Amino acid sequence: MSATITADYDVRRRSFLTSLYSFKEVLPGLLAMLYIAVFANNLPGVPNPFTLQNLFYWLDGVVGPLHHQPLFQLLNSNFVWNPLLLGLIIGNLFGVPNRWKRGLSYIHMLMPLGIIMLAPHFMVFQAAKLGVVPIVICTIFLFLTASLTLYTAKLLGLDDRHGAIIAGGLSTGDPHACAILMPLIKAKGGQVVNAVVCVIGFGLIAMIVLPLVGRVFGIPEPLMGLASVVGVGNGAQALYAAFGTGYEAGRYAVWYDVGRHVIMPAGFLYVFIVMFIRKLRNRHNPAILATRGIKRFPTWLGVFIFFWVLACLHVFKEPAHHAIFNLVKWDFSLAAAALGLSLSFKDITAAGIKGFLVTCIAGGLRIVLLLTALSVCIKAGWLTV
Amino acid sequence: MYNDRGGAMKRNSHTTDQTGFDYMTNKGKEEQDRDLCGLLIASFLILALTIIQYAGMY
Repeated sequence: MSATITADYDVRRRSFLTSLYSFKEVLPGLLAMLYIAVFANNLPGVPNPFTLQNLFYWLDGVVGPLHHQPLFQLLNSNFVWNPLLLGLIIGNLFGVPNRWKRGLSYIHMLMPLGIIMLAPHFMVFQAAKLGVVPIVICTIFLFLTASLTLYTAKLLGLDDRHGAIIAGGLSTGDPHACAILMPLIKAKGGQVVNAVVCVIGFGLIAMIVLPLVGRVFGIPEPLMGLASVVGVGNGAQALYAAFGTGYEAGRYAVWYDVGRHVIMPAGFLYVFIVMFIRKLRNRHNPAILATRGIKRFPTWLGVFIFFWVLACLHVFKEPAHHAIFNLVKWDFSLAAAALGLSLSFKDITAAGIKGFLVTCIAGGLRIVLLLTALSVCIKAGWLTV
Repeated sequence: MYNDRGGAMKRNSHTTDQTGFDYMTNKGKEEQDRDLCGLLIASFLILALTIIQYAGMY
């Protein structure tokens, strides 16, 4: 049936704009995405106080801070996962009307659009203040974690798409990378959300374990800031681990976090390129599913890299950078609403707990290797405290 | 409709309408067209916001 629909599109096609369908066809779906987005997030330009984000803020106030971090930040509540959660609840409680589906297909246009517009967000030279050794550590552990995760996933026989998505999220220390990799890896929505749960779940464990292991290794507080950023990641979770070690570690984690943040695109590009080359070398192997369907390097990804290079050259100054990032919030909120609506809870649990096992093994190895590397650097005098 | 392994696949009521259109399916010429739309809109927005800034309009 899918092949017939694709053939129908080819017959109906007049220009590339045909993929946008008619306004009448897409309006119900677009409105559904819009309403979910504006009731999930405090989006720029929308003065709506009745949002899921505000509900979480209120609950954060009720619970109180945990090592200076709000509870829902530790659970990674943000402009992607709030609408996804709301879409998931609506889709599972009430279903998804057929009239919405043409409009919801805009998710496939919004994903490359949002990813390209993310490029100005990563200005590599902002990390220059950290010095050479911390930047090298952040970079090495980015690629090492991605490789370790992909290898562990292969050893445990995890679906390569699922493994690749986890590799992206774990190595970059940001579950957003899971969503960014979705169109590149051609992963299922259920695998993406399952991978996000794995990365956040592992982060919750790691943020408690890391301060304890750090003491065993005798890492001084300022460098535990770096260890938290690289070994835990996920923003608030890294800060929880650092403040769990001590106030000085927390202060330094804020300082070091830019080192993890600015090289994030390298992480998901690395995972995509590794999986893409692997697929090209094994074209006829039916067990290799990641990036299947992508015949050549996506043009839009090339455009992302081009804008990332411009960002590194500081072409995008602060006001423009903020304006562009506000549009990214809009874009990903709409796309996440459509993704949430597409999933049943069964789709998410279908991937099983093997992904979590892979995340814990790769993440655990990363922590041990990282603390060992930091100890060596301290003893050799490469990292001063 | 077939799944990744070539087996028969059930219709997903969350994503597929009565005509068989599955909004989460993205391939072929349609995928290329959607990518191109996204690429053009993103490039336009980034360049417009940046040029407007350099022109001192905000």
